[in-house]
Amino acid sequence: MPPKPHRALLDRVTGYADEAAAYLRRRRTTRQPFARVHVPGGRIRSCAPETEAGRELFRAAAHVIDAAR
Amino acid sequence: MIAHTPRMVSHEAFGSDTAAIVANVPDPASTAAPTVADAAVAVAGLEALSDELRGCAILGPGGEALAATGDLATWDGAARGLLEAADRAAGEPIAHAHVGTEEGEVFAVRQGQFAIVAAVERFALAGLMLFDMRAVLRDLIREAAAPAPKPRARAA
Repeated sequence: MPPKPHRALLDRVTGYADEAAAYLRRRRTTRQPFARVHVPGGRIRSCAPETEAGRELFRAAAHVIDAAR
Repeated sequence: MIAHTPRMVSHEAFGSDTAAIVANVPDPASTAAPTVADAAVAVAGLEALSDELRGCAILGPGGEALAATGDLATWDGAARGLLEAADRAAGEPIAHAHVGTEEGEVFAVRQGQFAIVAAVERFALAGLMLFDMRAVLRDLIREAAAPAPKPRARAA
């Protein structure tokens, strides 16, 4: 017997919600620290934490977070 | 020959009213600087806009903090340091910067001569945060450019 139409729709919505929740969980566990700077022309530079520029940015960001406490 | 009959008279009124209208339009190129009170209002506005904001500071043309959510001197050094580090990393003055750490995330936005630096919760939506910060800075600059309201003439 085929499922009722509204049941199929509910299953579909639940499926999307599960996918979204799993994406957010993965994002929380796998996201690494990052630093990105954007200049007016639209250029973006990503600074890895092991570079000098990255270290300096993370240090400065830590001071800002401390100031907000 | 058909005689010309003037049908539109509204242009006559236009000439006499324009000066009064233009006097009340803010000049976007004005060099007037926002006051500390304006900056404090902008900080309060960003706090009201963003649930995920932990704290923020607004920096003036000289790079000094005009207003902040916490201790102004602490914010002054921290916000200035972040903008300087971001400028050095980019090799030129930045438009905005985003740093994500385990402890939280930090955004910096520069618009004209003003900048805003904010610390927010982890995983805050970057697009939304940047939009709010830009809107607050834009309003601050616009309000500074607007002329002060003229005192009303008293009826005799």
